[in-house]
Amino acid sequence: MVGSFDYLRPQSLAEALEFLHKQPETCRVLAGGTDLLVLIRRSVASPAHLLDIKALPETGRFEYTLGEGLLIGAAVTVNRLAESPLVREKYPALADAAGALATYQVRNRATLVGNICNASPGSDLAPALLVFEARVRVKSLNGSREIPIDEFFTGVKKTVLKPDELVTEVFLPDPGEGDKSVYLKQGRVKGHDLAVAGVAVRLTGSKKLCLAVSALAPAPLRLRHLEEMLNAVGFDAVTAEKAALEVEHFIRPISDIRASAEYRKHIAAALLKRAIRHCEGGGKSA
Amino acid sequence: MREQPSNTGETGGTDRVRLSCVVNGEKVSALVEPHLTLLSFLRQELKLLGVKEGCGEGECGACTVIMNGNAVNSCLTLALEAEGARILTVEGLSNGGGLSALQEEFVKHDALQCGFCTPGMLMSARALLDRNPDPGTEEIKEAVAGNLCRCTGYYPILEAITAAAKREREGEQR
Ligand SMILES: Cc1cc2nc3c(=O)[nH]c(=O)nc-3n(C[C@H](O)[C@H](O)[C@H](O)COP(=O)(O)OP(=O)(O)OC[C@H]3O[C@@H](n4cnc5c(N)ncnc54)[C@H](O)[C@@H]3O)c2cc1C
Ligand code: FES
Ligand code: FES
Repeated sequence: MVGSFDYLRPQSLAEALEFLHKQPETCRVLAGGTDLLVLIRRSVASPAHLLDIKALPETGRFEYTLGEGLLIGAAVTVNRLAESPLVREKYPALADAAGALATYQVRNRATLVGNICNASPGSDLAPALLVFEARVRVKSLNGSREIPIDEFFTGVKKTVLKPDELVTEVFLPDPGEGDKSVYLKQGRVKGHDLAVAGVAVRLTGSKKLCLAVSALAPAPLRLRHLEEMLNAVGFDAVTAEKAALEVEHFIRPISDIRASAEYRKHIAAALLKRAIRHCEGGGKSA
Repeated sequence: MREQPSNTGETGGTDRVRLSCVVNGEKVSALVEPHLTLLSFLRQELKLLGVKEGCGEGECGACTVIMNGNAVNSCLTLALEAEGARILTVEGLSNGGGLSALQEEFVKHDALQCGFCTPGMLMSARALLDRNPDPGTEEIKEAVAGNLCRCTGYYPILEAITAAAKREREGEQR
């Protein structure tokens, strides 16, 4: 590995926060390392200290409380989510997204919290977290705060996190009865690839639509205005068509090595229609 | 042994740290630099040259090893993250010098040509069969999708894993 850093593996949260407080600029938090170690290898990042948070007891938590929701600690891996029967049952869009991220080996290391802290516009997990209105719980020596996920991303690879803050967990409210959801991802190949477009759709028990996308704007995006437009008339047989027709006005795709902006608009409409139809049809596997 | 990059003292310490873990059933203890990857540790320090480096960035799977039962990319894991862990590499697959059933099936089905992807492919397959002794074709594909092979066209590999799973289920020794 290029670069030169020291490696810290604190056993308590207090110790970790203390260290981040003292070295906010030169220290980087290490979870699965599947983003960070690539950046270090390419000399894009050159931290002096890596703070491994996987030994903190708080970060290993993975707990569901009926009527409240699911708590996902910062060390919980993507495969843990992909293979959890509970996530599959309660939060199918998150299970889909976890299963669509990278490769089996990468998923054994990659964490959900690392995925959102990395804040790639193409994050596969963010759209599911957006439709479930996840809350990001953050701690620093100065206190703690809870950030609604749709206020968390501020741009390409940018979040509201301050350098001395640590995300300890993400909380997903219980979706309740009759909730349907799905995440659909389009890559360039059938195997693993970053998304050309990703679309999460949730249809709540009271037939409200929640929509979110990745790789179609500078940051993962909840499509609030489109939702309002569709929800105002109520869910019916033409909702999917209407959403597909309108979605291009609510996204800001770019052309890059993976796809053109035009193709991204086209595929966004197709995925959105398919995803809404899927929820409409009872939410069995897409 | 490779020359370690010198400590410039500008970007933090690189003091060597003690690492203890179990590799292929044997206890190992060594002083390693914090930025050493598990891949480099296994190859350079332990001379386990079956662990291959292709991309170094998690894309190709050539460096796959099994850590505490999970297939992982050793290029994206720091050696020090393996503190206390059990590591299995391709060198640990054969029992007493003979090839394992899985390895034999790779040979039988022509599931290797140049062989560069093979150690990683075998470790992904081993981890799969340990968690699921009777995988379907889709499950096998998913388990090895992170292992690129430029030679075989993959089908022989799928056949080899399917055949090995059958042999293992029929009670043959791994
Ligand atoms: C081959 C390959 C394929 C990939 N494919 C995909 C894909 O298909 N879809 C996708 O979305 N991603 C993909 N990724 C990216 C990556 O695997 C994911 O983003 C992963 O979830 C990151 O999690 P991590 O635990 O490895 O993060 P790390 O690399 O450990 O951390 C990522 C960033 O978040 C910060 N951070 C981590 N945890 C915390 C915390 N608790 N508090 C504060 N900051 C924190 C780190 O300092 C770092 O800046 C891929 C990566 C590779 C190598
Ligand atoms: S060398 Fe590790 S995945 Fe390619
Ligand atoms: S046998 Fe040559 S890459 Fe797979």
